[in-house]
Amino acid sequence: MITVNGIHVAFGRGTPLEKHALRGVDLTIPEGQFVTVIGSNGAGKSTFLGALAGDVIAEEGRIAIDGVDVTRWATPKRASLVARVFQDPMVGSCTALTIEENMALAAARGRRRGLGSALRGDRRRHFRERIAELGLGLENRLHDRMGLLSGGQRQAVSLLMATLAGSKILLLDEHTAALDPGTAEFVLGLTRRIVEENRLTTLMVTHSMRQALDYGDRTVMLHEGRIVLDVSGEQRAGLDVPHLLALFAKQRGGEDITDDSLLIG
Amino acid sequence: MSEIAFFGAVEIGLVYALVALGVYLSFRVLDFPDLTVDGSFPLGAAVCATLLVAGVNPWAASLVAALAGSMAGLVTATLNVRFKILHLLASILTMIALFSVNLRVMGRPNVALLMQDTVLTPFYGLGLPDHVVRPLVVLVVVVVIVLLLARFLNSEFGLAMRATGVNARMARAQGVQTDFHIYAGMALSNGLCALAGALFAQTNGFADVTTGIGTIVVGLAAVIVGETVLPARAMLWALVGCVVGSILYRLAVQLALSADAIGLQASDLNLVTAVLVAVALILPRMRLKAASKKREAVR
Repeated sequence: MITVNGIHVAFGRGTPLEKHALRGVDLTIPEGQFVTVIGSNGAGKSTFLGALAGDVIAEEGRIAIDGVDVTRWATPKRASLVARVFQDPMVGSCTALTIEENMALAAARGRRRGLGSALRGDRRRHFRERIAELGLGLENRLHDRMGLLSGGQRQAVSLLMATLAGSKILLLDEHTAALDPGTAEFVLGLTRRIVEENRLTTLMVTHSMRQALDYGDRTVMLHEGRIVLDVSGEQRAGLDVPHLLALFAKQRGGEDITDDSLLIG
Repeated sequence: MSEIAFFGAVEIGLVYALVALGVYLSFRVLDFPDLTVDGSFPLGAAVCATLLVAGVNPWAASLVAALAGSMAGLVTATLNVRFKILHLLASILTMIALFSVNLRVMGRPNVALLMQDTVLTPFYGLGLPDHVVRPLVVLVVVVVIVLLLARFLNSEFGLAMRATGVNARMARAQGVQTDFHIYAGMALSNGLCALAGALFAQTNGFADVTTGIGTIVVGLAAVIVGETVLPARAMLWALVGCVVGSILYRLAVQLALSADAIGLQASDLNLVTAVLVAVALILPRMRLKAASKKREAVR
């Protein structure tokens, strides 16, 4: 479970470029819920995800994960509770290390890393079994460098890596934005499967309203650092992209906007 | 090249192999261009020589020298990680400071080891000539360290350190305390360089405050030569490459110096090294450019 109470984040305080990215966000995500987050460019989606992951520390407010106050925890400490997949496949993995080394790195998340071998026989076997589940034939390429994989393959492995350490919370930061539509579809399908199989509490930031409604069971819209829309259940089931746009426009005081301005970024 | 010159080159190559391993750790594993080694190498020599003159056990003296080098590495890491000073500048500051520290440690610019016992003493007089004994003893030390280091870099802790250098952001997201790994890696790197200094002092019979100049370039040259000769991805072979690179580099230098036709003097060593490293750094880029030009021409 994730509980966020009135968090504020600002960049460049006291400079002419000051940006108040989050202005009092409240959100409670019960265990096992899959929330999609949308919003226009600069709405604060990525900052919100960063605040949950520990990349940005909230100036005000409180963040609790499974009842533990993590507001002041830095990224490495929070990693014991939270798994992450980045937008850029290059950022989310070590391209110079092999696939199995990347997996070993992820499998030790939240544990003390000792001087024992990172790739013992039993662990190798476990990695081979797990990566075979992806159905990409990567089980025979464990010694290949991560950099040799395509973007889609790398995101698929990143998703798998997110489940290796057994944390219950998954943060997805536009993890299909850098992929072509077909590959994005595959990675999203895999995401759904992994989330369901592991019963993960998931937060997925996306730039696509379509994806936001098709995946998960709750959708949250951010605008100018605030949550302006929060739909789930039947209300959400009856929604389509045009409805969402209309709702969004209403929130903004009747301003007319197009899907494009939300899609971009 | 005479037999003595050959073994001499191998010996100095093996001593500097430890520097190469240290430089590999900082430059390649941590992606931290660290010039501290120009200070930690003579620091190791100074500490070891001073302790030997005071009658300390040679192995203990070498260990303390390595620890002193580790401290120097920690200073650089602290300046960079804690106080956000650019890594290159942080290491230059430590290096400059160490020059004074080394003079203080020795109390004078150089210390001669004439009658003192060294780690080599027990092995002299076992039937082998001294100029063979020295490289052999250093070789054993180097082999042990290469094996330990390979095991370390393949451990969970070592893997996290490698990830820190390759992709710090990802490493942090995987729960790696990247700052801590930079401290640990820098301590280890400079500890190795100081140990090299300690062995240098014992094999050559002196410690001098000026021996540190250009250590980083020599270490880097060894790493680059090693990567060219032994382009391996497995950790152990990459480390062996550093050792081989260091020996080959010394042999090449010895060959160049002993060939009278070229007219090089011992004092030209640093110039030759600098040119060699520059060429080694430029060549791959030129080859890449040539390859891409060829591709365009085909199109």
